[in-house]
Amino acid sequence: MTVRRLIGGAIYALTAAIGVLAFIYPFFAPAASQAAGVYAHSQDAPLLTAALVALSVVALLIELQGQAINAKTVAILGVLVAVTSVLRFLEVAFPMPGGFSPIFAPIIISGYVFGGRFGYLMGTFTLLTSALITGGVGPWLPYQMFTAGWAGLTAGWLKNISGLKGHGASHHKSLELGAWDLGVLSFFGFLWGLLYGIIVNVYFWPFAAGPASQSWAPGIGLRETLGRYAVFYAVTSLTWDLFRAAGNVFLILVLGVPMAKTLTRFRQRFNFQVRSHA
Amino acid sequence: MLDPRVWLLWALTVLVTASSARNPLYGAILLLVAMVVGATCATEDRQRAPLSPLHFGMIAIPLSALFNGLTVHFGDTRLFTLPDWLPLLGGAVTLEAIIFGAVNGLTLTVIFSSFSIFNAVTPVRDLIKLTPRAFHEAGVVLSIALTFVPQTARSLRSIREAQAVRGHRVRGLRDWLPIVIPLLTSGLERSMGLAEAMVARGYGAVSDRGQPLRRQALLALGLLVLLTGWLMVLFRPSRQLIAAGVMALGTLLIGIVVWLTGRSVSHTVYRARRWSHRDTVTLVGCILTLAVSVTQREALYYSPYPRLTAPSFNPLVGLGLLGLIPPALIEMISDRDDPGMSKERTLA
Repeated sequence: MTVRRLIGGAIYALTAAIGVLAFIYPFFAPAASQAAGVYAHSQDAPLLTAALVALSVVALLIELQGQAINAKTVAILGVLVAVTSVLRFLEVAFPMPGGFSPIFAPIIISGYVFGGRFGYLMGTFTLLTSALITGGVGPWLPYQMFTAGWAGLTAGWLKNISGLKGHGASHHKSLELGAWDLGVLSFFGFLWGLLYGIIVNVYFWPFAAGPASQSWAPGIGLRETLGRYAVFYAVTSLTWDLFRAAGNVFLILVLGVPMAKTLTRFRQRFNFQVRSHA
Repeated sequence: MLDPRVWLLWALTVLVTASSARNPLYGAILLLVAMVVGATCATEDRQRAPLSPLHFGMIAIPLSALFNGLTVHFGDTRLFTLPDWLPLLGGAVTLEAIIFGAVNGLTLTVIFSSFSIFNAVTPVRDLIKLTPRAFHEAGVVLSIALTFVPQTARSLRSIREAQAVRGHRVRGLRDWLPIVIPLLTSGLERSMGLAEAMVARGYGAVSDRGQPLRRQALLALGLLVLLTGWLMVLFRPSRQLIAAGVMALGTLLIGIVVWLTGRSVSHTVYRARRWSHRDTVTLVGCILTLAVSVTQREALYYSPYPRLTAPSFNPLVGLGLLGLIPPALIEMISDRDDPGMSKERTLA
């Protein structure tokens, strides 16, 4: 069991490393090869990174569904994804201010209540399902799935590191969110509201045209690159993403307690076991 | 109707080609081809995207040209100069920057068009059937989610009506709470019934088996090899060929895990779709265009910097891009041969 857990941990770490490197790949691209073929690179890199991110999503999906997804998990996951996808449909039908999106709060709260594995699946499937029903399938989808999946996954880990007095550890106890827990979750939602924009932007930023102080150039070094990206992000995306981050905080504060209570109640009801007579 | 796998290949071919083709003449050909395919294949009302590719292009191309023209002060042909005290915008506005922005907008429009068409012509059920066997559970989750979406939407409407009868009005985001929580509860109640039904039909008997340890280790090894190749690409530029080989090996190992996982899942099809000559013709066309986009990268690329020049045009390359037109031709021929079919489809 320990070996299995170790290998599982390695798979999480490796997929995260590949995904993150795929995003920040141009920052490290050697100046020599850039100078030799900057145009060719600018054409190939988005496709290559998209393929790597897709591979990361595939590998983690294999690992997570390999840990015995039972009928109860499948059913509850399917229904929760449907509910969250309908919320995204509302977002498409009635445009919200800036980058505000009602899908992140349910992903974070579900990951928090049911654990990281459930949160990852919830994040990836919500983005996939909502893309299918709103006609949003495209090359950007693996990036969205990757980022939303990791938001759900880390929400599950949050329970272990935020010192929540073990309320959620037992399947038989109710997960009562106190003021401290709600504060931690809200901060987490705020952080992922910004991180989602920061990560997804990096995908196209190195290949986008723009002012020299905000654009990536071959061989400028990591520090300069990060500085330029920070300026680019502050100028073009920060205001937009702040709406998403503030929206997450608002929704977690409003929905957090009743939603966690409802999900915990059903988690206990879903705790039934089917035993064979043999 | 074409096989959904062929449509997926068609959309990916447009994506790969459009990413390479920064020459606006080839970009225009791709957009025209996509518009013709869209106009002939996605004709039903339910298939129409909320924003047509033409409308998208009419917004994206001028916006991209304007943004790039105002913020990039590079190029020889100065049109006018904005005062330096304007943050970001201050400096020369050049024709080259405007053209480059417009070309970027055109590329974006072509990619958007191809995936709009793919979304429109491929039924969601067919997309789920494309799920590899290794992702059996994932496919089931996706099927349940998509099946429950209309029910959830109906529940949302019912709950809103019920709350409205009680005098509840949605004025702000906070007022959604009495709607979202009952929606969640009713959805979870349904999932409870569904889970019990699935267990009763023996679903857990198969799915409760975990992944073998060896397969899990092989997956970790594949990821490690892929990461090693990726790091070699980044930090050992002189060994690009070896790095590409290592990455290919890592991908192969992950592919083997996917295949092994899929092999253990039995799969039955009620009515298998037959591969037709239409699929073959479209497949050959896509391969032709892909070959052109891989071998003619220099010809497909264009940069207006530093001084605007007319983009070159090779008729053979342009002809190669027409390999994406077969879906439209096939649709036109089948409509001419059997006009009743399209009418029946519309009525259905």
